Amino acid sequence: MNGAQHILEAFHRHNISTVFGYPGGCIMPLYDALVDDVGVEHVLCRHEQGCALAADGYARASGNLGVCIATSGPGATNLITGVANAHRDSIPMLVITGQVPSGLIGTDAFQETDVLGMTLGIVKHSYLIDDADSLPTIMEEAIELAQSGRPGPVWIDIPKDLLLSDVADAPFPQAQPSEPASPDLKEALAMLRAARKPLLYSGGGISLAHAEETFRAFAESSALPAVVTLKGIGNPGKHNPYNLGMLGMHGSRAANKAVDECDLLLVIGARLDDRATGKLDGFAPNARMIHIDADAAEINKLRDADLAIRGDLNHILKSLAGALQADPLAISEWQKQCRTWYTTGGFHAADNEEPLAPITGPAFIRQLSRIAPDDTVIACDVGQHQMWVAQHYDFDHPRHHLTSGGLGTMGFGLPAAIGAQFADRNSTVINVTGDGSFMMNAQELATIRRYNLPVKLIVMDNQCLGMVRQQQELFYNNRESQINLDDNPDFVAMARAFDIPALYIERTDQIRRGIETILAYNGPMLLHVAISREENVWPIVKPGASNTDMIDETARTAKASKEQVA
Amino acid sequence: MNPQSQPSTPSYTINCRMTHEAAALERLCQVVRIRGFRIATMAVETAGEHLNIALTLEGTRPIAMLKSQLEKLHTVAEVALAAGSVARSRSA
Repeated sequence: MNGAQHILEAFHRHNISTVFGYPGGCIMPLYDALVDDVGVEHVLCRHEQGCALAADGYARASGNLGVCIATSGPGATNLITGVANAHRDSIPMLVITGQVPSGLIGTDAFQETDVLGMTLGIVKHSYLIDDADSLPTIMEEAIELAQSGRPGPVWIDIPKDLLLSDVADAPFPQAQPSEPASPDLKEALAMLRAARKPLLYSGGGISLAHAEETFRAFAESSALPAVVTLKGIGNPGKHNPYNLGMLGMHGSRAANKAVDECDLLLVIGARLDDRATGKLDGFAPNARMIHIDADAAEINKLRDADLAIRGDLNHILKSLAGALQADPLAISEWQKQCRTWYTTGGFHAADNEEPLAPITGPAFIRQLSRIAPDDTVIACDVGQHQMWVAQHYDFDHPRHHLTSGGLGTMGFGLPAAIGAQFADRNSTVINVTGDGSFMMNAQELATIRRYNLPVKLIVMDNQCLGMVRQQQELFYNNRESQINLDDNPDFVAMARAFDIPALYIERTDQIRRGIETILAYNGPMLLHVAISREENVWPIVKPGASNTDMIDETARTAKASKEQVA
Repeated sequence: MNPQSQPSTPSYTINCRMTHEAAALERLCQVVRIRGFRIATMAVETAGEHLNIALTLEGTRPIAMLKSQLEKLHTVAEVALAAGSVARSRSA
């Protein structure tokens, strides 16, 4: 068996049945081996960035390892944004690239780049294979490493000659499963019982730890008012009466108010990102903090925890839930207060009653949320539409919301939706995108067509880079700079060019029919939704300001009246 | 970020043991730089399959944060803050 065949053998051993890739010179031995392989489905995307982001979406939706493959040089450099995206959001991913033959490394050979050096900052770990016999061991180690502890991308760069070399047969090392430690939770329970206003703050770490069900059971049994980060959306479930929604820069007033008022913050699987906390000095000023995370390096990184617990979240949450179920917290006043804040300061965009009125982002997303099936996976892009989805779509599970949280990668949504559809061919997958993001990986429409994936595409088109325009309006004296996209192509015609049917809507009374039509269609379909160029995401916290200084639409109205008077 | 070294900048000595693999030192140095420290001196010795690295670092950020980030590297076996280093907590 040669090196390439050993890679496929490792895929089989680990039940890796779907990989995303793009062939080229130095990776050709692996593609040659794929010809004779029946156990691995190779998905050919149309750009390596599409491969990496599809592998990312596959991993997010399924909870399994995402795998992407490319050749040396430009193949590897094109993967980088997708791998960085997975790194920032701790997505388990295996990246395999061909490299120029061993003897040519360092000679500036055709399609040579220093992949190992170039990618150090965006991987959990990486390898440059220099001995074919090490390949089986490294494959085992890499697959385990990508998925264990805090997951992340692991990159293996393999010179072409080693893909072709015979590999000595050796027994495969068996990973020894380790028993999770049982941290002492007495102090955490004592702090929870002593608190009058405890608040649960959860993030993407819940689904990364496959702790969705135990978290939900804990949230229900503790009845703690709960806020979530962008990546934690869906953790408490949409029927949890104490879920206050997303906190932070575009969070709800209710969530940010609760953080400001709480006296104990129970942070689970979150890293206190600046988009969530705002200015740290003003964040949860009256609260003690318990920080529970799988990654020791996140504890005390940005704010000292009064109590830090590192360990397996499933295990910890089960223990906490059991203790609180037996002896519930007495926080009814605080629960009531949080509910009141949610009633007045949650996300409750009203449907526009005027049928001929232009479509607004929040109203559209709320209708989508009501019409789409419960287990729909929404793959967002980055920008205003991403925040409207986060604010107004009622997610019941964190794996139903695929969003580029850490890196904020425009162009993520379409390939991520492809990955999610491969994770479950029967699920409803919708890519909600903007006109800016859509154009960043639009070539993957060809992948949707090739595999006849029933992915639904919703392009919310305001003919500009809306989030940048909004910040220029609010924080740069309305000096618009390079945000205009009013020369976008005709998206309906563009979709049709890929043999994907499409519809255009622009009025409120067309929303329902538009959504129902694309959902009912047996195959991929695009809905082009025209929205106002001037619409903003409200509320907003100025970057670097405290979350208590939220700005909402009244700020713009007040400014406009002032200008009118002047 | 490019932390400027000033007379008052705290200085630390860190001893690190890591696997002698491709890009080992680059990996280490990159983490030091991105987490806000500057390398003042660096001594490297090979010990079988390992590298023993002694670093003198300058930086105003909490050294505990750098230590925990270095410990996260898969090929780093041990990170020790040498006695005499100015160990300060982040809130100090």
